[in-house]
Amino acid sequence: MKKPQVCVLRTDGTNCDRETSYAFEQAGGEPHLVHVNQLRSGEQKLTGYHILVIPGGFSYGDDVHSGKILAVELTSFLQEQLQEFVDSGKPVLGICNGFQVLVRTGLLPSAKMGEIKTTLMHNDSGRFECRWVYLRVEDTRCIFTRGLAGRVLHLQAAHGEGKFYTDTSTLADIEAGKQVVFRYATSNGEPTGIYPHNPNGSLAAIAGICDPSGRVLGLMPHPERFVNRTQHPNWRRQLFDEPHGLAIFRNAVAYAREM
Amino acid sequence: MSIVEIRVTNRPYLPDPAGEEVLYEIKHALGINAVQKVRTAKVYRFEGIDELQARLLAEKLLAEDVFQNYTINAPIITDAQVVVEVAYKPGVMNPEAASLMKAAKDLGIGGLVAADSSREYGFYGPDISSRDIEIILDRLLVNATVERVVKEKPVTLLIWGQPGRTEIIPLRGMSDAELMELSRDKLFLNLEEMHAIQHYFRTIGRDPTDCEIETLAQTWSEHCGHKTFKARLLVNGREKEPLLKRLQEATAAVNHPLVLSAFVDNSGVMEFYDGWAVCGKVETHNSPSAIEPYGGAMTGSGGVFRDIMGTGQGARVIASTDMFCFAPPDTPREDIPPGCLHPHYLLRRVVAGVRDYGNRMGIPTNNGSVHFHRDFRAKPSVIVGAYGLLPVERCRKGQPQPGDLAVVIGGRTGRDGIHGATFSSGEMTHRTNEVNASAVQIGHPIEEKRVADAVLAAGEAGLIRAITDCGAGGFASALGEMGEKTGVRVWLERVPLKYQGLKPWEIWLSESQERMVIAVSPENLERLLEICRGLNVEATVLAEFTSDRRLVVTYEKETICDLDMEFLHHGLPKRVLTARWQQPALADPHLSMPENWEETYCQVMGHLNVCSKEPIVRMYDHGVQGSCALAPFGGVGQDGPNDAVVLTPLLGSSAAVVISHGLNPVLNRIDSYYGSLWAATEAVSNAVAVGANPKELVLIDNFIWPFPDEESLGALDRAVDACVDFVRATGMPFISGKDSLSSTYRGDGGEVIKIPPVLCVSVFGRLPDVKRTVSADFKGAGNLIVLVGQRVLAEMAGSVYFDLAGYLGRNLPRINLKVVTQVWEGIHRAIKEERVLACHDISEGGLAAALAEMCFGGNVGARISIPAGERPDYFLFNETAGCFLVEMAPTEKPEKVFAGLKHMVLGQTTENLAVVVEQEGHRLCSVPLADLKKAWQEPMARVFGTLDAVQGREVGS
Repeated sequence: MKKPQVCVLRTDGTNCDRETSYAFEQAGGEPHLVHVNQLRSGEQKLTGYHILVIPGGFSYGDDVHSGKILAVELTSFLQEQLQEFVDSGKPVLGICNGFQVLVRTGLLPSAKMGEIKTTLMHNDSGRFECRWVYLRVEDTRCIFTRGLAGRVLHLQAAHGEGKFYTDTSTLADIEAGKQVVFRYATSNGEPTGIYPHNPNGSLAAIAGICDPSGRVLGLMPHPERFVNRTQHPNWRRQLFDEPHGLAIFRNAVAYAREM
Repeated sequence: MSIVEIRVTNRPYLPDPAGEEVLYEIKHALGINAVQKVRTAKVYRFEGIDELQARLLAEKLLAEDVFQNYTINAPIITDAQVVVEVAYKPGVMNPEAASLMKAAKDLGIGGLVAADSSREYGFYGPDISSRDIEIILDRLLVNATVERVVKEKPVTLLIWGQPGRTEIIPLRGMSDAELMELSRDKLFLNLEEMHAIQHYFRTIGRDPTDCEIETLAQTWSEHCGHKTFKARLLVNGREKEPLLKRLQEATAAVNHPLVLSAFVDNSGVMEFYDGWAVCGKVETHNSPSAIEPYGGAMTGSGGVFRDIMGTGQGARVIASTDMFCFAPPDTPREDIPPGCLHPHYLLRRVVAGVRDYGNRMGIPTNNGSVHFHRDFRAKPSVIVGAYGLLPVERCRKGQPQPGDLAVVIGGRTGRDGIHGATFSSGEMTHRTNEVNASAVQIGHPIEEKRVADAVLAAGEAGLIRAITDCGAGGFASALGEMGEKTGVRVWLERVPLKYQGLKPWEIWLSESQERMVIAVSPENLERLLEICRGLNVEATVLAEFTSDRRLVVTYEKETICDLDMEFLHHGLPKRVLTARWQQPALADPHLSMPENWEETYCQVMGHLNVCSKEPIVRMYDHGVQGSCALAPFGGVGQDGPNDAVVLTPLLGSSAAVVISHGLNPVLNRIDSYYGSLWAATEAVSNAVAVGANPKELVLIDNFIWPFPDEESLGALDRAVDACVDFVRATGMPFISGKDSLSSTYRGDGGEVIKIPPVLCVSVFGRLPDVKRTVSADFKGAGNLIVLVGQRVLAEMAGSVYFDLAGYLGRNLPRINLKVVTQVWEGIHRAIKEERVLACHDISEGGLAAALAEMCFGGNVGARISIPAGERPDYFLFNETAGCFLVEMAPTEKPEKVFAGLKHMVLGQTTENLAVVVEQEGHRLCSVPLADLKKAWQEPMARVFGTLDAVQGREVGS
């Protein structure tokens, strides 16, 4: 069967597109770098793809709010295409800046463009930080984490605006809806608010959430940075059955195959 | 047109990290306690829209209802004792403005003509005095070079002005005094050079335009012309070859098989694997960073990245490095000379600049260091390096052909960095700040990222004949160099401007960032422009290469520059400089043994030149691109330092690039020959310690020196001799380099401050298999700890141990190049044959510091015994480079693995979390790791406000 086609959406300031493409290749997908201009001009259409990923970076310099300028652009010009892509049940992944974009379009947590209920604020530390963090995978219907529930993943976080925040009722909703996919944790998997394990002060230690269907996922840490063994800072002293980021991409590709 | 103001702030019950960071600095850096709280707000201004449109902008773009409030044309921080707004000065490009215009357009908002943003600070506390606020603004929040306090709502946001005119300088008739007055603070040329220019125009029978004078001044500047390095030298009366010639001849003589391009392109290039090449360049940005550290460091990074992008027919930047020298952050304010900024501020702002540029470009910054010495208090050294990957078939410098077109791509041109080239060649004085304020700007990394994407696409499409960046000297330098062999004809009025009001020579010399010039053959032009359009990169045909070997520039109809390339590039009179060197009158102290070993050990670990720099590294994205295979910090708690970075830039391939560096300024105060040998040895040892093959390493030199008076030039001559001897003895070539010879400060009170001379040696190389590399963290208890390498323990001068006792000393480490070359071979072999569990090279802080760092990484202790008869303090704290601590399994046979090399088994790693040192059966000390680590981590944590991380860190699995 033909490899699932992955749209790796780029724009000015996107900078994790190469390694994200590589991760999807490793997982059996066929990634294509697509500039937002190509979608706006009609030269490219989302309908031609099975998976959409918005990679990390500093889209438009993260001016005003991280991911905001791109979110406004997508909402202004590509709302129909995006909503259609999501409604048709195709998986969407946002990593770091991509997560910020999904939150600021409304695709997370409610899968509805323009319905902005949550945010990612500046880290409590007030600064960009790059460090490996432990993530507990919650038991959800998220298609990206099938078979991972209860696992503790070690991934790199690298951001300055990653503090998940929302009002109490929305938090209650996403908790009740089992939309919290990843929580910052200690090495033994205990969710924590303590710095630096929780690198940004996220509410309820939330590192990643999905939409009610489980097909739209956003997370701050970078799974694409741990799909090869030697990408882990301690690969010389630790053994891994497989690099912790790989399963997320493989699940997406497998799901796209089933569709 | 009317301006609408929108103010946005976080809801009062939510934290305001920006405000809290300012508060931390107010308390810790300024020691002002009257301020109890700081809140911040963003201020946005839009010209040409009505309040209804403003409301739409506020709700859809600027303020997020989830956590923020906003006001329109009204104050938002209303309960603070004092509220101050800080904005960029008009003319200083605010990178955010373009995004505001774009988003407003995307939201369908019409009529908008200009936008701007700034920040408002609310200070809380009943006892805040106006003097407090003055100090906070002056030392923390407002850098008068680029920023200002906004007192009232501006009338307009538009910057406008009449295009200036070209002036004729009556040079031919000028007296020597008049020539020098013209040169002073502006051209930085000496009388002989001014005479050469005067003579040229007398022969062609006309006076020069301001544009021609400026073009010559920047081409002949120290920064671009390297006059000192090209000068003939008389050293202690004896004539010697020019410094640059010596370095280049040494490299040529070595004729290293992997070198593809040395000293000719924007960076040096070595062969990698599978048809790929790796290139490297290291730059300094001292002068701008001294007066505006954030913008200066940013444009420093941006410049060196463009050097990589502009190598061959375009390279992809894969790594960034940063090496800084500052005065101690706790230097008393009264010790900082007038016109200079405090090191605490400089350090934080320089780090922020490097962070914001590299992170936003998506370039991992994963190798660097910070060195402290009080004589950097007038002028810091800010060194930024970059490395790139490019195909071998496109790795050689391109040559434009007559008829080719020159296309400028990227940012627009403004009055930025005028005189950057000449300024950085001048000495820093108390007048520097006011005279050369225009020499700094705020970088725009996203613009440069766009340009980088376009250059890669154009290179892959084979559209680039030649490429260079617009750095120092702007178009004058870029086009002047590209067209040297052919000639070039420039239509200056075509240059896209940020704003009107520039004189033609300012457009020509402007150092606005994020611009590159590509030479393209006419048939490829349209495809190049199409690629740029697709990536939102502005591209303009600016010039055509000719065959008359003249530099001809017109502005509208007027010819503003018409110079003979021969004179421009070869008319500079060759200098003859005299140098003197004599060993400074220094003596070694007679130190008694430490009374409290635990305390001494902790003091060494806490010395600024030894302590952990982790808080800085954490702010750099060292994982982007997914290529990092050996991080700056690793080990159990990820806080153990490694010696070099290892990258696998071709994802999926195990082929690796190794990058490291070395410098030790204080040693050059004693003897720049051995200080420079130490720097080069340390750089290579860092690479070898992780597994690099010494036969496949190349070098980059950066000389940052005081102004070359006879004495400093004498020291420089010895440093270059050291480099040449190093190349000959080790076979490792220098393939790129840079000199910055202006780090002397002269106050109006006659005060003179010279920095300790800096030679920073950077190293990069290749390895076929990343799996054959090691980290520095001990891998477990019960393993052997082996010392490999030759040390003369009495060579303690310049060490941290001496410094703590208040001495410099005379007898410094004299590296034996023959021995160290063998040691490198042995270490490399042992790592390649997988006999080494961990390896760390010895540098500042000596064996003791290296041992403690390996323990931190492994979360294990160590027990070592010092041979009978050795002086234990020297044994622990001697800093001879080229020596290694190696961890080996107890089953290994060090005497076999390191046969023929000086080595000794020091002891073993232990479960007991302490460093235990014994001699002849009696215990000198047993220091808990926790104490050593605390002492080692605290200094930078204090500066960067991350003490909580030091205390609240739990050890991971």
